[in-house]
Amino acid sequence: MSTYLIRRLSYMILILLAASFLIFSLYALTPGDFISGNIKLTPERKAELREIYGLSKPLMERYLTWMGNALHGDFGYSLAQQKPVLTIFNEYIWNSFLLAVVSTFLTWFIAVVIGVIAAYKQYSWFDTIVMLVIFGAMSIPSFFIGLFLIKIFAVDFHWLPPGGMTTTGSNATGWAYALEVIRHMTLPVAVMTLLGLGSLTRYFRSNMIDVLKQDYIRTARAKGLTERKVLFTHALRNALLPAITLVGFELPALFGGSLIIESIFNWPGIGQLYMKSFGLRDYPLLMGFTMFLAVLTVIGTLLSDILYRVADPRVKL
Amino acid sequence: MKKRTTVSASISILLAGTLLLSACSDNSGNGNSAANSGGATGSTNTAVNAGADNAGGASTDGAAGAIQAADLSKLPAAAKQRTDTIIVGLTDPSGAFTPYFQQSGYDGNVSSLLYTPLVLVNDKAEPIPGLAEKWEASEDGRTYTFHLRQGLKFSDGSPLTAEDVAFTWTILNDKSYDGDSQVNTLGIKGSDAYKEGKAASIEGIKIADPQTISVTLEKANAAALTTLGGDVLSKAYYGKDYKQGDTGYMKSLSTTPVGTGPYKLVKFTPGQEVRFAANENYYGDKPKTPNFIYKTSEGDTWQYLETGEVDYASFSATQENIDKLKSLGFVNIVPYTPSTYGYLQVNLEHEALKDKKVRQALTYGLDRQSIYVDAAQGAGSIANIPSSPISWAYTEEGINPYKYDLDKAKSLLDEAGWKEGAGGIREKDGKKLTIHYLGSKSKNTDIFIAVAKENYQALGVEFQPEIFADFNSLVSKVEGGDYDLVSFSTPMLTDPSDGLMQFVDGEVKGYSNPKFIELYKKGLETTDIEQRKAIYKEIYQLLNDELPVIFTSYKKSVYAYNARIENLAVSPFYGLAASLPQWSLKDVQ
Repeated sequence: MSTYLIRRLSYMILILLAASFLIFSLYALTPGDFISGNIKLTPERKAELREIYGLSKPLMERYLTWMGNALHGDFGYSLAQQKPVLTIFNEYIWNSFLLAVVSTFLTWFIAVVIGVIAAYKQYSWFDTIVMLVIFGAMSIPSFFIGLFLIKIFAVDFHWLPPGGMTTTGSNATGWAYALEVIRHMTLPVAVMTLLGLGSLTRYFRSNMIDVLKQDYIRTARAKGLTERKVLFTHALRNALLPAITLVGFELPALFGGSLIIESIFNWPGIGQLYMKSFGLRDYPLLMGFTMFLAVLTVIGTLLSDILYRVADPRVKL
Repeated sequence: MKKRTTVSASISILLAGTLLLSACSDNSGNGNSAANSGGATGSTNTAVNAGADNAGGASTDGAAGAIQAADLSKLPAAAKQRTDTIIVGLTDPSGAFTPYFQQSGYDGNVSSLLYTPLVLVNDKAEPIPGLAEKWEASEDGRTYTFHLRQGLKFSDGSPLTAEDVAFTWTILNDKSYDGDSQVNTLGIKGSDAYKEGKAASIEGIKIADPQTISVTLEKANAAALTTLGGDVLSKAYYGKDYKQGDTGYMKSLSTTPVGTGPYKLVKFTPGQEVRFAANENYYGDKPKTPNFIYKTSEGDTWQYLETGEVDYASFSATQENIDKLKSLGFVNIVPYTPSTYGYLQVNLEHEALKDKKVRQALTYGLDRQSIYVDAAQGAGSIANIPSSPISWAYTEEGINPYKYDLDKAKSLLDEAGWKEGAGGIREKDGKKLTIHYLGSKSKNTDIFIAVAKENYQALGVEFQPEIFADFNSLVSKVEGGDYDLVSFSTPMLTDPSDGLMQFVDGEVKGYSNPKFIELYKKGLETTDIEQRKAIYKEIYQLLNDELPVIFTSYKKSVYAYNARIENLAVSPFYGLAASLPQWSLKDVQ
């Protein structure tokens, strides 16, 4: 196990190094830079500023400078916001995380429950209706559902706020604040859950159907175990195994933010910020954020491999 | 597009909700949001206002075309309950609130409430007093002397003197200064020596007494008054860590501004809101509404206006928008023209387009009325000169309107030697006349392409459009020279010379006309407005004939605000900052 980990970790470092260079080059090679979008500057001033920001230097030199600083924990200042990149992450990422973690939890929970029941009662009216509804929800674009819900719940009935994370100008603290945030996140979480639900439910349903046909389920039933025990202890545990792979992929998604949802609901998250920064070519912020996601992805896959081993003793590492 | 200018850029995008192009320093994609406040920005000379005594834009309120709210009882409860606070949407303030040291126009909107410039301008861009109560220019137009008001204070209570003004001008000429202020392009005497580190101070800046400061330029420049007359940074606060050649420390002060404006910063929550409270050290009358909030609102602000979460929003002046606003019942709607102009930059390095007749033919042969007025549902009008229609220098005298005229366009091309060849496309010396057009992705670009394609086909010109979703990519393609026509809009223009910068500074490559350069210089040599008007008229007539770019359109916007706000006005140059201190909230039951 420990040799495996050491080997795995050294691969990870290599992968991240390669990824960082690739990402840096891609950003640097995208047409236009931080200066070119500023319509107020004269050509000479642009050249002067490129000099100040070091944008006129060769790619390799810029990369090494960035990497050198990054290894010292210095990810630089955002060009547009004039703040350290890490401070900005800290200001935005947790908002995205809050939405993602709640909706991911709800998605998984609901998907498992529905998936199990639908599989158990395969081809029943419940199964048919649920699958129909889920396919419907999957095929509607998120911006449409989002705007539609805003129109119904916020504009027409005034039940929920149309967007944002808190009421503008509110001085609420403690529980009142928590309640306010919950009210604001209801709609975005609902949309995110609805959209994620479809594929995951299908996944659990088909896994469960496979497992229910296995010999050991027949054996369990033959032993006289209760149906509940058969279903949730023997069948579900095995049906969930392949889902561990998915857990690893969820990790970057938890912190990555969601561009569309955050835009529609005016949520102060990192997804929106990333898009804006890309439009501006705010290199330090873009680099920092993309690398952060790369690190999370690599850690996520390692995590799911280890979890696999923990959950299923048959797997050897 | 790019070009230096005083004040902001954001305004164009914001307001328009349409012409994406105008993108400013932060083009990203927010162009199509109607979100913002219409505001001034400006890293540059921004301005702010404040002005109790000048109330720049107050006239717009009863302006022609304004529509009063029909039914105040429809006012949403959320708005009614807010009795001491006004909320306005702003696309994306990032937290860099030090004037001159910010990159985004939205941060400029914020700092325009926190700082008042030395010199303001009224709705026609004529200078009026700000922190400086008066000023004079020397005979040769090279020396400007500013007299500060008595008893000015920063928001932290410390006094504001000529020392602070001198510090502000000095730091903007520092070698490491990386903002887009134009102060360092004015050529203050001794500024080069300072920049190179050969002098410890700038020779041309002289403090006569704590209330009086003068500055001498290498050469006369009438636009210097408003450029120099910008916001003032406290030397005690912003200058205590300053060492010549290093302005990096300014970043750490960007979220804690010390200003001179009607409001001071209370709290900034990234991605959510910026809160302000009245500044008790402000020199003018205390703002009538004690609190103000800029709410970060990406994209559409309709739902916030409708639910009463914001009090004010601006929209493109399409009939559809106006009808929808009217149906809300509780908003007043006022039309508004941003101080910009739209144009098609022409690649003057391409052989065909070097010919004035071809450029004129392309203008005559383009149905601008259909594109910018009719298809835009009235949210635009046609431009024929490089000036906004609200400028004091604007004129239509002796200006060719280039009304759509296919026959005229055809005969001009014939004269230029472009004869119809195979497939109906004109040719000269075996080369086809093709136009490679670049535009930003937007509804207006789609309209433009549809109409232009048809127009130019009728003219015998092959039209090849290319659309960019990303403004930076578009600009870099233009810089690479791979285009014939590209749609742009200027940033906000204050002085008439601002609208001409692009023809002087190398922005529009390949245009050089000694007569124009001479007139341009002459226009900056005198500060007398009547004399300048005559000079600019001549320039406009010249450029209208030569068409170094094809002038296209002026945008039209409306702002809508809930009718419980009284005394609201919007300045084309400072947005709402100018009249905000006078806004008051009426009791509505």
